[in-house]
Order: sequence, then structure tokens, then C-alpha cells
Amino acid sequence: MIGIETNRASSRVLLWITLAVVLVIYGFPFIYLLLTSFKTPLDAIAVPPSVLPSQWTLENYVTALTKDGVAPALINSVVTAVLSTVFSLVLAVPAAYAITRYRTPSGRVFVLAALVTRMVPTIAVGAPLVETMRTLGLSDTSLGLAIAHTTISLPLSIWLMSSFFESVPDELEEAAKVDGASRLGALWRVVLPVVSGGLAVTAIFAFLASWNEFLFSLLLTSVRAQTTPIVIANFQTQFGLDWGGMTALAAVYSIPVILLTLALQRHIVAGLTLGAVKG
Amino acid sequence: MRITDRRFALLLMAPAAAFLAAFVLWPLIRFVSNGFFEISPIAGGPREFVGFDNFVAAFQSAAFQGASVRTVVYTLVVVVLEFTIGLGVALIFASLGARSAVFRTVFMYPLMIAPVVAGLLWRFLLIDNFGIVNELLRQAGILRSTSQIGWLSDPNIALFSVALPDIWLTTSFITLVLFAGLQNVPGDVIEAAKLDGARFPTLLFRIIIPLLRPVIAVALIVRGIDAARAFDIILIQTNGGPQESTTTLSLLIYRTMTRYGDPGLASAMGTIYLVAMLLVASVAIFAIWRPGSDR
Repeated sequence: MIGIETNRASSRVLLWITLAVVLVIYGFPFIYLLLTSFKTPLDAIAVPPSVLPSQWTLENYVTALTKDGVAPALINSVVTAVLSTVFSLVLAVPAAYAITRYRTPSGRVFVLAALVTRMVPTIAVGAPLVETMRTLGLSDTSLGLAIAHTTISLPLSIWLMSSFFESVPDELEEAAKVDGASRLGALWRVVLPVVSGGLAVTAIFAFLASWNEFLFSLLLTSVRAQTTPIVIANFQTQFGLDWGGMTALAAVYSIPVILLTLALQRHIVAGLTLGAVKG
Repeated sequence: MRITDRRFALLLMAPAAAFLAAFVLWPLIRFVSNGFFEISPIAGGPREFVGFDNFVAAFQSAAFQGASVRTVVYTLVVVVLEFTIGLGVALIFASLGARSAVFRTVFMYPLMIAPVVAGLLWRFLLIDNFGIVNELLRQAGILRSTSQIGWLSDPNIALFSVALPDIWLTTSFITLVLFAGLQNVPGDVIEAAKLDGARFPTLLFRIIIPLLRPVIAVALIVRGIDAARAFDIILIQTNGGPQESTTTLSLLIYRTMTRYGDPGLASAMGTIYLVAMLLVASVAIFAIWRPGSDR
């Protein structure tokens, strides 16, 4: 990026200042959420509001986490997201491998179908799925919800894994086959270890898609399998206007994934930009 | 016994294909076909074939027309603002070079936050009496009183306000994609243009944007589709109000199905919506992206 990079000191300073302003505006909402979660419940809705808590307390965290249904919802979120991630990878890896390695016409149809799936409004699949899950005896279960979430993450996973398989040279497997490995053996023992970074990225995106999903959870679960986004949304009706509790639970729900993302940020940037940049 | 490569490929794709057929295609077929029936909302209630009646009713309904316009406006607001800010920030990152790495990481964090959380958080920031945004604007002397702007309660601006969390949440995606694209713009092309005396606007509109075209297309199409489908982020902020001013198609369809108990009409609306999405996306893909044209 030698071309765009600027060398003039004055324009550099100006750019840093602009960047700082943008980042402050961008970072403020979540920081304010964190600060509010440490206020007393009354302080959180004080008029006029103040940025900093007048008194720091963990009260909101205690009330939010001990509320009926919150702990089970957090467990449900983890179980559903893990199940859905496993389904996505198990189904997407062989499919993406076949699409990139054998380039059959059926593979191209498949990629197109995965792309179209992205355009379908969630309600168009979600509403009929309610009945399907009832027929399968999976109403209000984490398994049923995980299946529904997989309809979102599977096309994404196929898309991502295809990009990662593209970057593996054909010669690698050819060599393995010459050494007597079967096609499945070559995939399992030679190709998969090479794309392990890609597998991790795909797993994170599949996990996040389920972790943050709302409408399927709203339609397909009622009590037993309810996930946390629904509980967070219910903070406004079920328990009155408990903004303090809402911010505490939102912080508890968001911070693990934010930390995970920061830790793995290089891989995640690669995943986000892979498909797009290759065009 | 050895199976052919083509068969082997089919075998590998079969499980994922079966899954998508059972849990996406089949529900979708049922959804579309429901549009041709008058359906009682009670489970197991009567169904009566009514042909295109629901589609006619959808097109004639003022609620549907209004929601369609609002969906287009919402999508345009989100995509235009995200692209402008996203490109600006990507250019700043590129101009500052490797030293911007830490800031790129910080800029990425909202991408991981649930839309429901983002929607509630922004509702909290923008709420009339105890929202911090109006209070800060008042302290800065921009507003006379905190009730001067009713971000989410004034029907004239609510559709714009509900778009803010969506923009906050995903501008980073556009920035990351464009930044990655900028890495592939050959430095010598830009150096040469600079030597020819090209100023920054010329550089941007004549060289950088045309070179980024495929990347921009993907970013805009992906974000456009998602913005047009936005549901939870709006539901949680305004529930479609005030005075229906933020009722987009996804909210209207949801409400027609669950609250008004008319699955037939809701399915017809959803089908029109889906077909429109496919048409617009295909046109966009061929018009801006032009896959393969540069190969």
C-alpha cells in the first residue's frame, strides 16, 4: 500500500485525529453500556443521565443473573450454538471439498443454491419450520433450534470452506494418493490438517450466527429451550423497564464473544474478507 | 470396487444437499404455496384454495405498499451511510499503513454483538428523557432541551433512527472488506497518477473506486440483502411504530402471520418480497459485479 500511504506529517496528524474521533464515537455505545451496568438500577434511568456511575455496584449483575430463566437461557445458548456449529462443519466440509476439488455441474448448482438461501427472509423458512419441528417432536428443544440455526450457518460455512480449500494445491493430495491413500484418507489426513485455520474461522462464524440469532428462537422455542437474546428482549416487558439488568445481561452475553474475536482477530479478518476480495 | 470421481463428489455433497432440501427448500415451498390459500390461523383449521386472491390483496393493501417503500428507504439509508463511512475509514487505515493495526481490531468489535443487544442499547442511548445522546447534545449546546429531538418517537425521523444501530453494527464489515481490497491496488499505479499531478478526488473516483469495483459490489450486495431483511433490530427498538413509521416488510409479514392471524396473506407478501429480492440482487450482481468480465 505504498501508493495511498501518506508521508506528509501534517496530513498524518489530521488523519490520526479523524481516526481518533471516529473510534471514540464508535466505541462509546458499548462503553456506556458497560458503565450503565455498574450503576444502581435507579441511577441507570436518572434524569438527566450521567456517563459515569455516581456509585459503582454489581447489583445489576446479581439481579440479572439470578432472575428466573436467565441461567438456563445462557446454558441453552451455549448448547444450541455448539450443536449448530458441529452440524454446520460436518455437513459443509465434505460438500465444500467436493465443490472445489471436482468442479462438477452439480457443485456449481450447489454454490448458487447456497447464495440464494442467503436472500430468503427468515420468516419464510421459520414459519413452516414450526410445523416441521412439531412433526419431528422437536418443538421447544435445543436440537430443533440448532437445526434451524444450521440453515443460516451451513450456506455460509460452505462458502467459507470452499475458499479455504481453493488455496490447497492439488499436488498435495496427488502425492498422498500416490503413497496409497484413498480419496477420503487424503481428505482426512492430508487436506484437513492444512486447512485447520480455516476450520477454526468457519466454526467461529457458525457459532456466532447461532449465538446472536433471534427470530428462529422466537418462533421455535417457548420456555425450555429459550436462548438468551429472547430473555434480553423480554427484560422490557416481563420485568418492567429494567434497563440496568438489561445492560448487565447484555454485557455478560457479549463480552465472551468480543474477547474471543479479539484473540483470534487475524483469522476472523481473513474469513470476513476471503470470499469478497477474491470476487 | 472404485467409484468415479463424479459419484464420489455427489456422495460428499449429498448430506448437505439433503439437509438444505429438508429444512430450507421444503419449508420454502410450503410457505410459497400457502400464499394461494385462505388459511385459518388455528392449527389444523380449514384451508381453502383462493388462487391469486392473497397476492392481489397484498398489492392493494396500503400497509404493504407503505412497508415496501420503508424497506427500500431503510436499505438505502443503511447501505449508503455504511459505504460512505466504511470507505472513509478504510482509506484512513490504508493511508496510515501498518501502524493502524490496533485500531482496526478495535473498530471490529461491534460485528460480534447480537442485533437484539445493539437495538436495545441504541434505544437506551436515544430514549427521549433519560437518553445520553440528547443529554450530551444539550450539554454541547446543540439542543436547547433533551426533548427537542424524539429520535424514536417522531414518525418523521424514526425510520432513520432505527437504522443507526444497524450502521454501527456492520460498517466495520465494509471497512474490513474494502481495506483488504485496497491492499491489492497496485501502489505504482497510484504513484504514477500522483506524478501526473492527480489530486485526491481524481485519484479516488478515477482509480481507486474503479479498481475496487468487484469488492465494493460484494460488500454492497451482502449488506443490502441483510439490511432488507432486518427484523430483530427494528422490532426491539420501536416494534414498527410510531404510527407504523418503522414497519418494514419483515415486520409486517411477521405481524400479519402471528398477530393478525392471516398466514395466507403473510405468505403471499413474503413470496412477493422474496421474488423482488432475487430480482434486485441478480440485477445488482450483473450490473456492478460483472463476474468474469475482467478475466
